[in-house]
Amino acid sequence: MAEQQIDQFTRRLDGKVRRAVRENSAAGTAKRAEILAADYGDPTPLRRLAGEIRQHAIENLDVHLAKAEDSLKRNGAEVHYAVTAGDACRVVSDILSRAGARKVVKSKSMVTEEIELNGHLEAEGIESVETDLGEYIVQIDGDHPSHIVKPIIHKSREDIARSFEREGLGDYDDDPETITRRARAWLRRKYFEADAAITGANFVTADSGRLVLVTNEGNSRFCLAATRLHIALVGIEKVVSGDADLAVLLNLLARSATGQQLTVYTEFIQGPAGSGRPSGPRETHVVFVDNRRTEVLASDCREILRCIRCGACLNVCPVYRQATGHAYRGVYPGPVGAVLTPLLAGKDFPAFADLPKASSLCGACNEVCPVDIPIPDLLLRLRNRAHAERLPSPGSPPMGPFAAMASRPWLWRMALRSGRVMDVGPVQKIPVPWMRAWLNTRTLPEWRGGKFRAWMRDRRKGGDET
Amino acid sequence: MKDAREQIFASIREALQTLPERKPHPGPPSGAADPRWLAEETDAAALFLKRAAAAGTKVFTDAEACADWLRGLSARVVLLAENVTELTVDALSFAEVVSVFDRNDPDRIDASVTRAAAAIAETGTVVLTDETTPDRLAALAPWTHVVVVRRGEIHRSVADALAALPDDPNVIWVTGPSKTADVEGILIQGVHGPGEQAVLLI
Repeated sequence: MAEQQIDQFTRRLDGKVRRAVRENSAAGTAKRAEILAADYGDPTPLRRLAGEIRQHAIENLDVHLAKAEDSLKRNGAEVHYAVTAGDACRVVSDILSRAGARKVVKSKSMVTEEIELNGHLEAEGIESVETDLGEYIVQIDGDHPSHIVKPIIHKSREDIARSFEREGLGDYDDDPETITRRARAWLRRKYFEADAAITGANFVTADSGRLVLVTNEGNSRFCLAATRLHIALVGIEKVVSGDADLAVLLNLLARSATGQQLTVYTEFIQGPAGSGRPSGPRETHVVFVDNRRTEVLASDCREILRCIRCGACLNVCPVYRQATGHAYRGVYPGPVGAVLTPLLAGKDFPAFADLPKASSLCGACNEVCPVDIPIPDLLLRLRNRAHAERLPSPGSPPMGPFAAMASRPWLWRMALRSGRVMDVGPVQKIPVPWMRAWLNTRTLPEWRGGKFRAWMRDRRKGGDET
Repeated sequence: MKDAREQIFASIREALQTLPERKPHPGPPSGAADPRWLAEETDAAALFLKRAAAAGTKVFTDAEACADWLRGLSARVVLLAENVTELTVDALSFAEVVSVFDRNDPDRIDASVTRAAAAIAETGTVVLTDETTPDRLAALAPWTHVVVVRRGEIHRSVADALAALPDDPNVIWVTGPSKTADVEGILIQGVHGPGEQAVLLI
């Protein structure tokens, strides 16, 4: 029996990377718990309320999305729709080419990772520069983010210093302050050279038509201050009914993601800056991206669309902490990725059907989720789907022998009696591959089989019951 | 081929058709999002100053002290926005005072002083709009940014500030200096925006 792919990845992982990810994630979990306890005592009622707000939004998506479109248009933004990842990329390059834009600055956006926008723009001869420090480093390294909020959680300062030296940002210096100053100076030039800015959005309000964008670095703000054309790519599920919902969502998002009361920059964008303003975009384009979200909406896992991308479930997950983000082979790592990646894979579901099994179902992800997504339930539903589609299940011991025994009382009794031999010999040495794979990472307790049956028998003989 | 909008809405409606009923909106949060200590804070200005300082913002309630601080930072070129009356060219006589941000020389200005549209006590946040900060770059690019807030403009909570969001192409809430913890989780200030964020509350 083969190991799960995630185990194979984890086995090859550099110990330094694992330690860095584990420590950084654990620190994130502690900060989140501390601020929520200080500010709300028990955050559960607020998390439930946020879950209801988001569930309402996705269960009424037809209404809210149409309303958001109307509001955005009223505010002067242009609204586009894209069914597939490819469509979304084309919509963006069409807007850029109509404007004659050759250079783009980008603010961190998961949906643009999902549709692989940077690769598309590069192929079209358009320079696209990531401006979030972590995303910029990921980009120059030709790497992928390994965390939703902390994209370079897997990199050390030495790694980054070497990358900067290679890219001509100065001699080797691994001081984090120097790294940040060099990026500030370099990216500042890029902002002013750029013809357009591409961002995502954390939320879109239907009633007022506002794109809400949060960053700590101020990079999205710089994008929208230095350039004259703004394109926002937005997953259709980002819509909420109104500004009032944001009180709950923004308060939970920052605390869950980084342990802050609010993210440093929380920006509400209604549309292009007024004519005559010395800065700010003259054009605002909003591209609503489906990319299989409607398939997720139709599935029995639609609750995952509540997700506000805070990363708290990654930080708390014992599997993520050991395996790290790239083990999940998708844009979204951790528990949320184990649900979302197979669902967004469409026909390629079988290729990612192992991800929902990369979980002990301990439930920690659900407990920290700011929108109370029942992630363990969704993982089980996806496991059932994989089972129903008769997909191979590497890493799981075959249950056939157990079923055969459990349904034959005589065989069961015999197995219980003979199980004691397992205490005698080294069980790990049994030359059955699936047993070896399973027992490699587990220690069996002392055999206690049959004791309950013996006790029952003796009890009846003793005639305690009258 | 159906156009993308039509196709997406058709898929959404089809997906939602299977629901026995749609979840209603839970209603306005009415205080649910307020931190539990907020009710005990009666002085919005005092709370604003406390929370702003906690977020890493320098706080001043006296224009002279603020000008002294800028002088102490050896700010040689200061941008003073035209709608700011609380600090004057005279008070900033130690520096060259300009009123326009030059994007061809973005690092020439050491500090800028601009007007806030509002503030939020709960989080120590200042609210900027295109209306009060016509040049977004002026409040963002210089290393040091001072924003002038008047006492009457402070909202008590995030929820109150959302209820009063101005109708402006761009509203931004600023809570502390620009920061990152991307490199090994180490906090560094001044990534793209100000490394020093200050408020002058009048």
